Amino acid sequence: MSSPVLSPTTGEPVSTVFRRNRLGLIFLIVADFSGTMALIISYCYLWSLNVNNGWAPNTPSLDGNLDVKGRAPLPWAADWPFWAIFLLTVIATVVLWSGIRGLRKGHHAQMLTAAIGALLITIGTLALQWWQMATFPFGLENGAYASAVFLLTGSTFANLLISAFLLTGVVGRTRAGLISTDNPWQAKLVGYWMIWICGAILLGALCTTFLKESSNPTPENFGGFSLVNPDKPTPTPTPSPSASPSPSAS
Amino acid sequence: MSTATIYQVEVPQPKQHGKPGGIMRHLNFFTGLAGGVILAAVFGYLMNIQFASGAQTADFASASAGPTFWAIMVGWVVGFLGGMGAFVGPIRWMLGRDLTHDDAEFMAGKGQGKFRYWRFTTDHKVVGIQYLIMAMIILGFGGLLAMLIRTELGVTWAEVFNPDFYNSLVGTHGIAMIIAMIVVVSGPVGNFVVPIMCGARDMAFPRLNALSIWLLVCAVPPLIISLLVGGVRDGWSVYQPLNAQAGPGMIGYQTTIIVFAVSTAIASVNIMTTILTMRAKGMTWSRTPILIYGIFAAAAMGLYAFPFYQYSQILSMTDRLINTSFFNPVEGGSVWLYENLFWLLGHPEVYVILIPSTAVILELIPVFMRKPLFSYYIAIAGIVGVVGLSGLVWAHHMYMTGWAPQAGYPFMLSTELISIPVGFLVLVIIGTMWRGTFWSRLPMMAVFAVVFNKMIGGVTGIYLSDVPADQYFHGNMFVTAHFHYMLMGVALFGAMGGVAYYFPKWTGRYLDERTASIGFWLAFAGFQLTFGSMFVAGLQGQPRRVLQFDNMFNLSNWLSTIGAYTIGIAMLIFLAAIITSWRSGAPAPGNPWHAQTLDWQTPTPVPLDNFPVLPVVKGLPYDYGVPDPLAPEKVEAELQKAGTP
Repeated sequence: MSSPVLSPTTGEPVSTVFRRNRLGLIFLIVADFSGTMALIISYCYLWSLNVNNGWAPNTPSLDGNLDVKGRAPLPWAADWPFWAIFLLTVIATVVLWSGIRGLRKGHHAQMLTAAIGALLITIGTLALQWWQMATFPFGLENGAYASAVFLLTGSTFANLLISAFLLTGVVGRTRAGLISTDNPWQAKLVGYWMIWICGAILLGALCTTFLKESSNPTPENFGGFSLVNPDKPTPTPTPSPSASPSPSAS
Repeated sequence: MSTATIYQVEVPQPKQHGKPGGIMRHLNFFTGLAGGVILAAVFGYLMNIQFASGAQTADFASASAGPTFWAIMVGWVVGFLGGMGAFVGPIRWMLGRDLTHDDAEFMAGKGQGKFRYWRFTTDHKVVGIQYLIMAMIILGFGGLLAMLIRTELGVTWAEVFNPDFYNSLVGTHGIAMIIAMIVVVSGPVGNFVVPIMCGARDMAFPRLNALSIWLLVCAVPPLIISLLVGGVRDGWSVYQPLNAQAGPGMIGYQTTIIVFAVSTAIASVNIMTTILTMRAKGMTWSRTPILIYGIFAAAAMGLYAFPFYQYSQILSMTDRLINTSFFNPVEGGSVWLYENLFWLLGHPEVYVILIPSTAVILELIPVFMRKPLFSYYIAIAGIVGVVGLSGLVWAHHMYMTGWAPQAGYPFMLSTELISIPVGFLVLVIIGTMWRGTFWSRLPMMAVFAVVFNKMIGGVTGIYLSDVPADQYFHGNMFVTAHFHYMLMGVALFGAMGGVAYYFPKWTGRYLDERTASIGFWLAFAGFQLTFGSMFVAGLQGQPRRVLQFDNMFNLSNWLSTIGAYTIGIAMLIFLAAIITSWRSGAPAPGNPWHAQTLDWQTPTPVPLDNFPVLPVVKGLPYDYGVPDPLAPEKVEAELQKAGTP
């Protein structure tokens, strides 16, 4: 039986260090999960309230007027990029884990190939995420949905960037023989991280796919910055000469 | 391949590149400072060029002020951390240049004397002392602002500061003190004491430990600098839409919170992992000191709750800088979203502050009563109960905001429920004191002060948890007095007790208790005067955060100001006792209190690796007055009884 690999800094078996690191990683994921939940809660909260009918993407109000009728509606974000990013991340995770599995059987080359594959897929996913953010049919200023979607995708981008960094380390360390059959722990830790970001991306994809049209299509006026006095009858607006006739009028 | 002998075991070593420590030999606080200042200037300059359009906001301020200030803050954070060497570890890992044992010892500060306190040192004892100093600096800054606030409110015949500056003082004082109170016990005690108390040689993640303290150091200057660009004028909670409408000083506040939240998350992960995986053999959960439970509980609450606060500020920052609309009702945002995110941390945070201080008190009371802790399991139940309920009470801060009025009563119930586990902790303290004879030393005095303050703060909190009563009390000085009794009355006096108790272990010297006691009791008297008077002003109806008020409130405000100055003088006396004792106090032995926990079984100063041989725990932590089953005479009697020669 071979003697256990020892940590060069503390002299403990690396399996002991791994168990400690795994618990630390789980706690870090709990913190990241809380942050992700803050974004998901924000998305769902604004979706459910539809404050001043401002959830759906619209051209912005330039004068603080709450009436959204004068604003042009903009399209929602397409669903497929969210799911493509999720799918690619799942594939990268599976590829990495297949390498770890191979490493357990002594196939060092399989681990190296898998790590490179996972890294390339993650870089591709990062590029796709960038492209998606750059081509949304709305801007940051186009309502609550647009804001929430941008922040969710930005969070995914950050998570993928961290993953790319970690996978680069796994590739380098596997090449250098620091990740081996006797010492596969760091690759496993990166594998756990990848599983978590699959979950985080899935949460975002579910929200953006199934929570589009607000469940509250006729919200009350929430106030805000309107100067209309509710005690006084609202004067009938005079139609402006440039306004296009409504469908019923025509 | 070379090897190193670590605890009598030959361990293969990776290749040593250059001298141990590598580039870290050249990096320290001063390179961090230089890196931060230079990168802040570069980032600010570049952003200013980007926005050099001459455009102005509605109040004729430069439109580039916000983005430029933000770029300066980012530059400061990145530059400071880079200059400290915070990124060296991840880059070395990525390049496959693992640390050798010699590298690790250099990083732990071996042979570097006092200069190790200025470096990215990984030794948990150094980090603990760094936290202590940092907490004292932030407390000093926040306390100075408190003096200025009380000066304004005490000088009832004139206006000392202009209203905007006064509001900045209030907001900055609030958040500075919240940060200080969060770290004042969990920082020094959690880092210095807990690993030794667990029987470990260091924290689970030494480099993350160093990162957590230097993130804290880097988080504070943005808050201070924000005072120069308009400050934080909207209280420490910076509700929307005031947050969005504030000047660029708000970006300093937001940077502080975002960075501090990362520091807290890292520290929490480290403390929790250390406690769960590195306790000594035999230290079962029923033999684990109550202080460890308290610090673990605070870390757990911080871990899940802080990200909500952090994201409330990230979203506010994006609203301000890149026109998102999370909190802008015109574009579909909601200010209540901000309030919910904020208080999802804001209330557990109260217990993040309270529980460690209470745990310190619970830890030291058996030592000075020479009695086992009364109802150890009830104390654990109290801590667990607080953690469990702490996430279900946040909306009691929002009774009067108009958000979900029907939710007020469930939150009233959950808030009143949490007084039960908090009450457990007070009862355990009183039960331990019951019919006891106490050893009259300064740490024990802190027990009395904390119990007194906690009773007043707790009882007045029950009024505030009540929806109808809160309609009157909300937003007036009664609330201010209540939370100062809880946060300052428990956390600060508990921390003073903790400092007095652990001082011999931290410094190897006795604290000058005579001088420190004068400071302590003067602070206690000043505290009662300041906040007792504030209760009266609140009951009379004086609103919070106002500069001018009716003459009927003059007397209570004069008394409060006299009390505040008394606290200020008292803290200076206490600080003087600490400094003089640290420099020239009488040398203390390893265990001057004859305490039974592992932290007192090490020599002083504590060696770099704490224990040459890892300890094994064979008894309960508070068996004071209980016959020792392993005492030599007992063992001999047992052996004779068994007929063994």
